Amino acid sequence: MAPKTLTAADLGPKETDQAYLCAKCGMCLQVCPTYQLTGREAMCPRGRVQLLRGLLESRLELTDNLRDMIYTCCGCNACYVNCPSGVDVEKLINEARAAMRAKGVELPAGQEAMRSRLADVSNPFGLDRAERAAWLPPELRKPRTAETCLFMGCSISFANNKTGKTILRILEKAGVDFMLLGEEEECCGDPLVRIGETQLAEAMIERNQARFRRYGVRRIVTPCAGCVKSFRRHYGGFESRHLVEWIADLIDEGQIKPRKPVGRKVIYFDGCDMGRQLGIYEPPRRILRAIPGIELIEYDKSREFGQCCGGPLISYDPEMASAVSAQRVAEAAEKGAETIAAACPTCFLNLRSGGQASGQRIDVQDVMALLYRSLKGD
Amino acid sequence: MSALVGLDVSIRERLRGIVGAEHYSDAAEDLYCASYDATLEQARPEAVVYPASADEISRILRLANEAGFAVTPRGSGTGLSGASIPVAGGVVLILTRLNRLLEINADDLYAIAEPGVITQTLADAVAKQGLLYPPDPGSMKSSTLGGNVAMNAGGLRGLKYGVTADYVMGLEVVLPTGEIIRTGAYPVKSVSGYDMTRLMVGSEGTLGVFTKMVMKLVPRPEHCESMLAVFADMAAAAETVSAIIRAGVIPATLEFLDNVTINCVEDFKHVGLPRSAEAILLIETDGVREAAQREAEKIVAICHGHRAAEVRRAADAAERDRIWEARRAALSALSRVRPTTILEDATVPRSRIPEMVAGVRKIAATYNLQIGIFGHAGDGNLHPTIQTDQRDTEEMARVEKAVDEIFALALSLQGTITGEHGVGLVKAKYLKDEFGEEGVRAMRAIKRALDPNNVLNPGKMFR
Repeated sequence: MAPKTLTAADLGPKETDQAYLCAKCGMCLQVCPTYQLTGREAMCPRGRVQLLRGLLESRLELTDNLRDMIYTCCGCNACYVNCPSGVDVEKLINEARAAMRAKGVELPAGQEAMRSRLADVSNPFGLDRAERAAWLPPELRKPRTAETCLFMGCSISFANNKTGKTILRILEKAGVDFMLLGEEEECCGDPLVRIGETQLAEAMIERNQARFRRYGVRRIVTPCAGCVKSFRRHYGGFESRHLVEWIADLIDEGQIKPRKPVGRKVIYFDGCDMGRQLGIYEPPRRILRAIPGIELIEYDKSREFGQCCGGPLISYDPEMASAVSAQRVAEAAEKGAETIAAACPTCFLNLRSGGQASGQRIDVQDVMALLYRSLKGD
Repeated sequence: MSALVGLDVSIRERLRGIVGAEHYSDAAEDLYCASYDATLEQARPEAVVYPASADEISRILRLANEAGFAVTPRGSGTGLSGASIPVAGGVVLILTRLNRLLEINADDLYAIAEPGVITQTLADAVAKQGLLYPPDPGSMKSSTLGGNVAMNAGGLRGLKYGVTADYVMGLEVVLPTGEIIRTGAYPVKSVSGYDMTRLMVGSEGTLGVFTKMVMKLVPRPEHCESMLAVFADMAAAAETVSAIIRAGVIPATLEFLDNVTINCVEDFKHVGLPRSAEAILLIETDGVREAAQREAEKIVAICHGHRAAEVRRAADAAERDRIWEARRAALSALSRVRPTTILEDATVPRSRIPEMVAGVRKIAATYNLQIGIFGHAGDGNLHPTIQTDQRDTEEMARVEKAVDEIFALALSLQGTITGEHGVGLVKAKYLKDEFGEEGVRAMRAIKRALDPNNVLNPGKMFR
């Protein structure tokens, strides 16, 4: 039987202090995607932090329900930027999940299924390992020694290789040198860190790092925001960039020249990892502004106050994930946007499904797809 | 009054029947999450319900009277007095599903809202029509309008525009015994009957549950001017406040930060405030452009005439934003120094502010506590903010004594124990200090008349 408690010793002094820093003012309520959806205090940052405090003080038992509340947090940290006391909720929740796992608390069913898919086939979709590189041109399927690695990430490799192919075409036009891990690539480890599955994550991270070292990689570029976050937090000895940072520079340097007009009213969606976690606000906007014909508009809440699409829930609670993203799609439609542009593949997938669920006639595109339209025939 | 009872299986079943099973919970986690607000107080209910209509609330209250359990209304739970904490157990009535903004009437200048509407949502919606809902409590991004009305919330614009009570024209109320009544009227003028609206506003959920609220709106001022004045001593800042009012200028906001707060803000945000300053005033005038500008000129001159070390007047929106950054950051800055922050709201007539600040400083020294003071200098509503750690029982004992003395001090200066947070649980023991036994007895008589079985939010306001 699983232990029914969590102590300050389990959580560690730093995170315990974070839980006590919460003044319960409630400034986080209205910015929390799961609270917006449910209106339940137990599904908002203050509620989750207080539940943890209740556990630490032995005023609550670690029930399955309590565990589930801790696991519904998207980790978007919109609460953090609105918190007068500066509680880093995402970190606190991740540490609490890790502490629960360390005590042998079972994962909720959805997360457990994802964990087992990642353990078996190194991608959260549970698809055959061979599919990761099957869509790549044969010469890119196997790694070679190069300074720059384009780390494709699971979302693009398994669920959106159309964007993957577009990225390859854009980089070909730019004439830059890079390699892919291809068949050898594995999940970056971030989804496992998010569910508190530290050991499995560390093993995966170490295997990827060994590959980078083997092929002389010094710089990792990836179209996935979660991967960049993971590289910066958990990997050592490599420079890591999001693809949009590289592409924006290549446009400035004149190596990529968007010429064909793309007559769309586009709203840029600041993902949580892209924005609050990595601070990458300008590069995707620079790319969109460089495309002739695009009218770039903004959400009422953008940049560090941008709202989560619910994407992190996609692997274990797709219904809630798409209910959250439907709200973001509706807000874009209200602003008069024709296209939502995303630079994070998780946001892209989730906004697409939310768009379908909400029935809005609005198009969701990756920034790279819009750029490529402007390069076609060039 | 009969003693309240717990909820047995059949009552729980009937509650489920009234609100629907999915809007009822007695899961330990949901009970815990209804046990707190923004104070340090805590008490768990036996069930939480999320009603969707006045009729459901009425049926719940009738059941409460019949079976004898307590009912405590709650909005977003952002209160600073413990008024929504279910100290008598029973049922917490979470009103956030009643969140429709029913009407905005630009001709008759009112809006009709349900209690679960977020205050900011109302403010944003009326702003789109060129109107202003003036009350702006610090929690407005999260707090519900129902909670604001129940607590008579204040805010930064109190000096010129007044508080929530000044904007409530009428209410639909479910009485503690379950009857649904209407108070007030739509016209600006109405003198029929007792002013039940005023009685209900600020009743802290003890006299009724609001289900519809008619809120007064005003035209949005076309222009505002922002200023910041730095003072080397407290007396000069206080004289400046009085001089501004005597000169016939009522600023929209007139805020104050003391030296402790200034230094916390500097540590946190590096806004460029002089660390040695004893006081900073942040002042805003609004209205017709020319009028706001002329008032601003007067204020700048008054500040200079009262030994201000420095006066800044914002030339544009960006500068205005920089000036206000210090005030916006005040609570955050004070909150980050220690794990626990206790925000009080003892209020005095504005001319007594120097005595109040000096007195609080002395109390801080006596009990060896760090207390920052900021707040609404224009209306005398200060926020002595105690930085502490609730896990340190020895220090918390000193905090408690300091709080007692702060309230006694405010009362000795013709002030009040609470300017805008309410009495609730945390100030109930001080109420008789302000109104005497007879004053409190009169209030209790009203409570007894409307709530003979004491089912609605028992244990609040009176001790």
